[in-house]
Amino acid sequence: MTSAVDPSISIATSVAARPDAPPAPVKLKVEGLQFYYGQSHALKNINFEIPEKRVTAMIGPSGCGKSTLLRVFNRMYDLYPGQRAEGQVLFDGVNIVGKELDSTVVRSRIGMVFQKPTPFPMSIYDNIAFGVRLHERLNKSQMDERVEWCLRKAAIWDETKDRLNTSALGMSGGQQQRLCIARTIAVRPEVILLDEPTSALDPISTSKIEDLIDELKRDFTIVIVTHNMQQAARCADITAFFYLGELIEVAPSDVIFTNPKEIKTRDYITGRFG
Amino acid sequence: MEATMDGLGSAPVEPISKAKGTGRIADPIFVALLWGSGIFVLILLGLIIAELFQGGLPALQHFGLEFIWTASWNPVTENYGALVMIYGTLFSAVIAVVVALPLSFGIAFFLTEIAPQRLKQPIGVAVQLLAAVPSIIYGMWGFFVIVPLMAAYVQPPLIDTLGQLPLLGLLFQGPPLGSGMLTAGLILAVMILPFITAMFVETLESVPPMLKESAYGVGATTYEVYKNVSVPYGRTAMVGAIMLGLGRALGETMAVTFVIGNATRLSASLFAPGATIASAIANEFPEAQLGSLKLTSLLQLGFILFVISFIVLALSRALVRSRMD
Amino acid sequence: MASLAARRSKDAVVKALSTGFAFLALFLLGWILWTLLARGLPALSFSVFTNVTAPPGQNGGLANAIVGSLIQVGIAMLIGAPIGIFAGTFLAENGKGTKIAAAARFVNDILLSAPSILVGLFIYTLLVVPLGGFSGWAGSLALAILVIPVVVRTTEDMLNLVPVGLREAAFALGAPQWKVVMFITWRAARAGIVTGLLLAIARAAGETAPLLFTSLGNNAWSLDLNSPMASLPVAIYQYAGSPFDDWVALAWAGALIITVGVLVLNVVSRLVLSRGH
Repeated sequence: MTSAVDPSISIATSVAARPDAPPAPVKLKVEGLQFYYGQSHALKNINFEIPEKRVTAMIGPSGCGKSTLLRVFNRMYDLYPGQRAEGQVLFDGVNIVGKELDSTVVRSRIGMVFQKPTPFPMSIYDNIAFGVRLHERLNKSQMDERVEWCLRKAAIWDETKDRLNTSALGMSGGQQQRLCIARTIAVRPEVILLDEPTSALDPISTSKIEDLIDELKRDFTIVIVTHNMQQAARCADITAFFYLGELIEVAPSDVIFTNPKEIKTRDYITGRFG
Repeated sequence: MEATMDGLGSAPVEPISKAKGTGRIADPIFVALLWGSGIFVLILLGLIIAELFQGGLPALQHFGLEFIWTASWNPVTENYGALVMIYGTLFSAVIAVVVALPLSFGIAFFLTEIAPQRLKQPIGVAVQLLAAVPSIIYGMWGFFVIVPLMAAYVQPPLIDTLGQLPLLGLLFQGPPLGSGMLTAGLILAVMILPFITAMFVETLESVPPMLKESAYGVGATTYEVYKNVSVPYGRTAMVGAIMLGLGRALGETMAVTFVIGNATRLSASLFAPGATIASAIANEFPEAQLGSLKLTSLLQLGFILFVISFIVLALSRALVRSRMD
Repeated sequence: MASLAARRSKDAVVKALSTGFAFLALFLLGWILWTLLARGLPALSFSVFTNVTAPPGQNGGLANAIVGSLIQVGIAMLIGAPIGIFAGTFLAENGKGTKIAAAARFVNDILLSAPSILVGLFIYTLLVVPLGGFSGWAGSLALAILVIPVVVRTTEDMLNLVPVGLREAAFALGAPQWKVVMFITWRAARAGIVTGLLLAIARAAGETAPLLFTSLGNNAWSLDLNSPMASLPVAIYQYAGSPFDDWVALAWAGALIITVGVLVLNVVSRLVLSRGH
């Protein structure tokens, strides 16, 4: 199925071809990636590139491997002994798959926000400080500044500034998810992975998160897995379609949603399956 | 977004290949502690078995395997055997299970099907508190309260009636001392009741409501649903719960020591004083000299108790966890 | 099939009987508590807490036994709680799915219900005999072995209730495992783990049998862990079986103290758990 995507085609250049976008360097380059859950072969020879400071969406039916790939990017699979990856993912040219790099280093550069909000059982302030303290030594005023900065970035400062020391568990689902985004930003990663970040949220919270994604791509490279094709079309510069562990097609979102090359892609986005 | 703050967002300058992991020193230590503790628990049981076996080995060498079925426990002639205690251990534990079982079935039925929601929790907790009362308290209650009652009101009429029957009468022979096998078994029944009941309730609450509703749908009464649907559905785990109760009763020490009468004679009567392995160890240990045959015989008794308990508890666990694992 | 009326009446009889059994259990608990209050309260005085055990007729107390129990249970918890929490964490985290963890879980379940007197014998042959005497340390270690399986079991059960997503979210920030476990997972399961610790204290405090051959008991005031040490359950055992009325009364006072303590710990642990969820 490698023929579906010619590895020599650089998406970065195809994005650069759009009049409104300056050329973007490649942030993550996936090369010949295979992934296994025990005996089952979940990702089959994936090759593609993710441009810097762009939003890349990964779509496809359940079990197609899109979330698996996301979890390869920040080495989440390391937590589970039966799971293994082969091949390479280059981050600024350095391979992050395999044992050469410590997984905590990879995760500090490539943050992840999950499907369900996962606030830690502590105050809003400590939720953010927990991640920051892992990597940096800040004094109180620097930490205060960092907390404010990331909460503003996540567009939740106004709702939280008066209750930073109350438990994060008391927030609404949408607020919790934006706190999780703030918490991820606070560590100052270069890439942010979003795994169906709005699937557990109501429409208003969803649209707030989508606005936020648009805002965040000024500073971060964003990869989002979504079930919602409208969301991919609205937010993503580039969309990759996965099916049964293979990358079927990757192209600028307007191309993939209006004029896909592959029949499978067309069938999926027109709702024939999935 | 204030421009002054955007500077904070600039990426770390250090190349990723040079960065150091956050857990490179503490994590290996932490993981070693986790594994070490897990393995410690794993070998603890083996250590206990090995120590008891080694401690009791001289008795085994002296008496041979006959130790197990010898009914004598005579410090004067230094002739020791385990039969009386093994018999007492099994007999008292079986009495306990036989008495506790119908009570547990009834209480579990009450808690899962009859009790109004408001009463369910307080009564459930109260039954559980019976398990929290220390063994020695049961011993004192048994010794000072139950034994006199047995001697005055329970044993004499039974001896006068059932004791006169052929064969069955053998169970009701002897003077009404109040203490003895039956009293020990009754106290043990109260002690294991909460364990069996709790596991019954847990099992019964896991019965799919669909199953019960379809039985109610064809007109079954509450009791019929309990007997024909819920209990059969959970029977494996419930047998496991009974085994756990049995296992607990086998090794109970203090309560039994107070009420069993501590006699090392074999008797078929429910009213005869006897001994269990645990009560014999607790009782005889202070009189056993270091290095004496008596001490090693007591350790050998301990080893036998461990083997019996292990078999019963392992069986219980296999039955209870069979559905979960 | 029996007639409807017969089935209905059978149902009613069984229901009545079951309700009766439940109230019988309540009655038994009440009876035990009433016995303790009726016999223990009159014997309970200030001197029970301040005086050391003494020969019959000399107005002795249980001060040394109470303090000895506190010390031994305290040391047992200091040893047993960390091992139990770490082993329980091992079962729920690193060991999950491994054969070693399955075996350790099996062993722990056996230890949880194994006869406590055998733990006393084990420590006796392991420590008391080689070191040449009964000691507070030996008693503490015997209790520690009883504490461990309780803590392991509750810790594992409670950690298994912590959502996987919470752990992954902490790892996703680049946290090392020890921080994820100590600051996120343990924290999320805090109420349950504390419950386990309280139940373990309650269990250790009420145990008599494992102390008979380890710390033995001591009628004099002693804080020396290298010599025999008094404990409340052993003192009760010694006094309850004695022919002296004042000793028996003191045993009831001690029994009341220990039961109230243990039951309060049990009730508090349940409250902690229901508050935490």
